[in-house]
Amino acid sequence: MTQVTSNALSESDTSSRWPLSLLLCAALKWLVLAGVLSVISTIQLHTPSFLADCSWLTHGRTQALQETIFIYGWAANVGFAVALWLLGRLGGAPLRGLGLLTAGTVFWNLGVAFGLVCIAMGEATGVPFLQMPAYVHPLLLVAYAAIATPGILAWTGRRQRATFATQWYAVAALFLFPWLYSAAQVMLLGAPVRGIGQAVVAVWFGQNLLSLWLIPIALAAAYYLVPKLTGRTIANYDFAPHGFWALLFFGAWTGTRQLVGGPVPAWIPTMGIVATLIVLFHYVIVALNLRGVLCGDKRDIALRFVSFGLVAYLIGGIFDAIFAFQTFAEVVQFTYFPMAQLKLALVGAYSFLILGAVYYLAPRITGLAWPSSGLIRMHFRLMVLGTLVTVVSLGMAGWTQGHALLDAKLSFAAIAASTRPWLLAATAGEAILLLGSLVLTVHFFLLQAAAGCSTFGSTAPAMEASAS
Amino acid sequence: MSDHPSPKPGSSSSLSDGELLHAHEQAVADKTDDRGSYKLLPLVLLFTFSGLIFFGGTYLNLFSGHFDPRIFDERALPHTVDTSVKMDPVVYGKKLYESLCINCHQPTGLGVPGTFPPLAGSEWINGSEERIVRILENGLKGPITVKGMNFGTVPMPAVGAGGANWSDDKIAAVLTYVRQAFGNTSGPVTEEKVVEIHAKIGAHAEWSPEELLKLP
Repeated sequence: MTQVTSNALSESDTSSRWPLSLLLCAALKWLVLAGVLSVISTIQLHTPSFLADCSWLTHGRTQALQETIFIYGWAANVGFAVALWLLGRLGGAPLRGLGLLTAGTVFWNLGVAFGLVCIAMGEATGVPFLQMPAYVHPLLLVAYAAIATPGILAWTGRRQRATFATQWYAVAALFLFPWLYSAAQVMLLGAPVRGIGQAVVAVWFGQNLLSLWLIPIALAAAYYLVPKLTGRTIANYDFAPHGFWALLFFGAWTGTRQLVGGPVPAWIPTMGIVATLIVLFHYVIVALNLRGVLCGDKRDIALRFVSFGLVAYLIGGIFDAIFAFQTFAEVVQFTYFPMAQLKLALVGAYSFLILGAVYYLAPRITGLAWPSSGLIRMHFRLMVLGTLVTVVSLGMAGWTQGHALLDAKLSFAAIAASTRPWLLAATAGEAILLLGSLVLTVHFFLLQAAAGCSTFGSTAPAMEASAS
Repeated sequence: MSDHPSPKPGSSSSLSDGELLHAHEQAVADKTDDRGSYKLLPLVLLFTFSGLIFFGGTYLNLFSGHFDPRIFDERALPHTVDTSVKMDPVVYGKKLYESLCINCHQPTGLGVPGTFPPLAGSEWINGSEERIVRILENGLKGPITVKGMNFGTVPMPAVGAGGANWSDDKIAAVLTYVRQAFGNTSGPVTEEKVVEIHAKIGAHAEWSPEELLKLP
């Protein structure tokens, strides 16, 4: 019965319980589906004949599907839930516009589902991270506006004039996404720019979807959870604004580093490389601010997720900067290596940070503790193992493949054969991640079931079961 | 705290949301520095950022091709690559002919009897390069006989520096085109030849046919 007391369960949490639970349920459903498709598409990397007879599940489509589901299904839904919850908490009042939020959530997820069917039928656009056909995106943009409204209302109607780093990052993410998304829709699908301009816009969009939308939400969660869980204020907090602006200003330029050696004017990739380097300043500030995470109680599971996520984020930033340089980029470009970097950013950094927030907020919106600490530990271990195995094996596959591709004497078949062991390991890693997602999903539905019983049924047994 | 991330009420270590905002607002508030303390960290961060900007700026200067949109190799400098494309003078000349000459000399190159002389089969066009280059550079004024017919009521305006301001390569191209179009079969006029004649005559008013006929 420990949870339903004092500040643990504020009014703002109970009122937003159902809309946020809906977002989280949708997110977890997509996470499992993304995991399944990741496993399939990774198997197809080393065994191309796998499901090759089924046109809906050929590699080009499973790859586009898993990427789209992960971003627009899992990352978006869970990001919305966390960002809105954080803004509501720090706004000091219950979230407003929850009807809009629910409607937006329903239409966003219907839109994503429709887009996925279109991709499976072969309608994919071929633009990374914007695979759904042009006619789906406007629906998602309108649904997004409805979803973001409670967050913006919580920000503009906040009770205290003072603002906190969490709010900057969360509000920036809410405002930047429609800019990135609508600009990319117009310039790539609606009225496509001509020639290489498309490649430039595509890398700009792909990178910024991560740097200016997902990562800010994850950092908003980290800036909130670290002081909450350690009980101390953020170290060197006066530098936090510099870290924020460094990401917003320089982060937007980093995407074009991927075009190195491509048919674009030389200054475009060079600009991307320089921006990737200068963004390191942002990573320095984040490391400085959130180093308190290492002083916290190691047994706290949310803190463990946040710690791993932060370390992955910092390592990812350093790797991005190193492998942006021409010397290394020439080797790893067009190999499995960028896939490993993306995995590190999306799973290692984003998912871990956001899962820390999910483990923290779910008991607060439902008013019940997580049913089983064993399942939480199991999920954490599976996630860590799966992430490490996938990232390391894809990275090694890419590194060996990159060197081999530069050797004109090696045949393409021989190179493909040499990467096979690493790809098998990556498949195992993806399977472990899928298992972890299943554990989390089952656990979350157990929590929701217990919460449902406590609301609608005779409350006593469920509440006792949950008390720990 | 146990494995459960669940909140513990009354735990003195946890911050409420209000305290969280307040404590961090205090952290960034301007404080008077009574003790004259010296902080190393801001200086270190300033140097880190300056170092990154310096390195980035140098790198950009070395490998951006001076932001030239025609440079695709980041190690190249603008003046080291010749990105100009040589066009076929006949194709180029046709474009030029259609942009200007066509107004008087007509798409057929036959001109208008009594007003604009024909180019097709003209002894002037198929004759001395020296003369036609001068006509294009500076213009032509005065009575002239072409293919046994008299013209000269309308002067031919200069196409070179004094008139339409065409460069020597354009003049060479349009003459090359005209000398092989409309049934003409004379050889091309090179850009070098036009440059050479241009340098020799310098600035000059319109030529008269008599002056030109004295030339070889």
